Amino acid sequence: MDQVIDNDLTYSRAVEALKKYAVETDDPLDNEMVLNMGPQHPATHGVLRLLLSLDGETVTNCVPMLGYLHRGYEKMAEDMNYYDYIPHTDRLDYLAPPSNNVAFVLAVEKLLGIEIPRRASYIRMINSELARIASHLVAIGAMVMDAGAMTVFLWCFREREKIQELYDLIMGARFTTSYTRIGGVSGDITDEAQAGILEFLDQFPETLDDLEKLLNANRIFVQRTDGVGVISAEDAIDLGVSGPNLRASGVEHDIRRAEPYLFYNEMDFKIPTYSNGDSLARYWVRMDEMRESIKIIRQAMEMMPFGDIMANSPKKAIPRKVEIYSKMEELINDFMLTNFGAEPPVGEVYHAVENPKGELGFHIVSRGEGHPWKMKIKSPSATNLQALPHLVNGHMISDVVVILGSLDPVMGEADK
Amino acid sequence: MNKKFTKKDLSFWHNLYIPEIVKGLGLTWKAMRGPKQTMEYPEEKFIPTGSYRGRPVLAMEENGEERCVACGLCSRICPALAIEVQAAETEREKERYPVKFEINMLRCIFCGFCEDVCPEEAIVMSDKYELVFDNREDAIFGKDRLLTPVEQLKPRIEFLRKHK
Repeated sequence: MDQVIDNDLTYSRAVEALKKYAVETDDPLDNEMVLNMGPQHPATHGVLRLLLSLDGETVTNCVPMLGYLHRGYEKMAEDMNYYDYIPHTDRLDYLAPPSNNVAFVLAVEKLLGIEIPRRASYIRMINSELARIASHLVAIGAMVMDAGAMTVFLWCFREREKIQELYDLIMGARFTTSYTRIGGVSGDITDEAQAGILEFLDQFPETLDDLEKLLNANRIFVQRTDGVGVISAEDAIDLGVSGPNLRASGVEHDIRRAEPYLFYNEMDFKIPTYSNGDSLARYWVRMDEMRESIKIIRQAMEMMPFGDIMANSPKKAIPRKVEIYSKMEELINDFMLTNFGAEPPVGEVYHAVENPKGELGFHIVSRGEGHPWKMKIKSPSATNLQALPHLVNGHMISDVVVILGSLDPVMGEADK
Repeated sequence: MNKKFTKKDLSFWHNLYIPEIVKGLGLTWKAMRGPKQTMEYPEEKFIPTGSYRGRPVLAMEENGEERCVACGLCSRICPALAIEVQAAETEREKERYPVKFEINMLRCIFCGFCEDVCPEEAIVMSDKYELVFDNREDAIFGKDRLLTPVEQLKPRIEFLRKHK
């Protein structure tokens, strides 16, 4: 439990570490077996590889090996301007692309010092919350399927499909949305899309009730998750766990409240918190968060003013299309921005948002050029996975998949 | 909001599991009688709205000339480096035109940035989403396959002018 686990270990070094652990823990007959779970295991949510040290069927130690989906996104950012990088953020946490776009763009805007129009902020908020619902639906669906229930998974995906159709109406793509722009959003939200969102919100709570009816008092599900993978509040904070996983351990920390961005300070919503810290509590938190997201979207739809969707700041934000067609100044800006990018002042900035998975932060170091000198992505999935060895110790192999499902990592983001 | 149960809270009836099965089957029955959620794709086609970003095409005026003036902004902004433009001069009113305009559809990620920066409304995301090739050469779309009459792109262009 107190072992320091180094994630840079190669396979042989990891096995050695586990063997050393076996010797230290008084296992001269080497009864413990090292089992390699993943990277192609269907329950590891992508390409996560776990080395499990087993005593019979009980896990005694676990080394998660990250990096199978490493695409060098932090390094790539140093070679492309801020505008170009937006589609890449879609591919970090690919279950909530609009939310990632917002996180990155907010960091860049903080660096550039742009004030964005109110309407754009509200649209961003609506999108982020839709993304939160979609992401939690997948998290719950996958987790429950790992525990053995297929129906919930299909129902969750049915609802997510409706959200993706809304993405299509609002942002133009179902999956990799690339919708948010530096200085605003790429297009205004149509009346059709607004009607679609309201229609979705009207019928969605009923589906949530159905899901809860299937799961909440289900003996098999409760027994598989209650008391499984418990992490205390202190441990969770020490390990850097964030998001729903942290709140399930009883820490009421939500960046939407702690350091409000966009207009979350004007919204009326609760932060669901449970003190159990087990897989069941993590499921409850996600269920309740979806209801809170519905509330936020409804309020944002009501409060959304009419007006611009792009900041009017030449040399920083791309002007609107109609103006590019007709005005010289805007045309020149368009050319300058495309060729050289928005050039922020020299400096450093860190901005974090509450992504569905937890705290997603971008640390950008600028030297006054059109591209970052260095960018660090603080991804929630990577930090949440650090807690995995502490969660699975002493549980069965079959519990590992449930615990992993309840942590809800996305490898695209963990490996960057 | 439904009540939440831990292991301790489960009553005898919950542990018996039979009422739970009946409840679950009831929900399944409800879902079975509900509306169908799937689309019989090849027979029934998905019709995109104006907001949809399909594959990028070049707008062609009614007289058969392209709108593009080969400024190269699309090629510069493209995050996937999918576009290649070669400009040349002509005697026509617009003075410049692309001799070669190629989009590698294996690289294109449908982000719509080319359309975003285009100052001539020349490159537009169409509503076409069916892309099939059987070799890599076929995936590189030249002007012959990119040029599309403006009438076909009307919903998208209207959306661009109104909402972008």
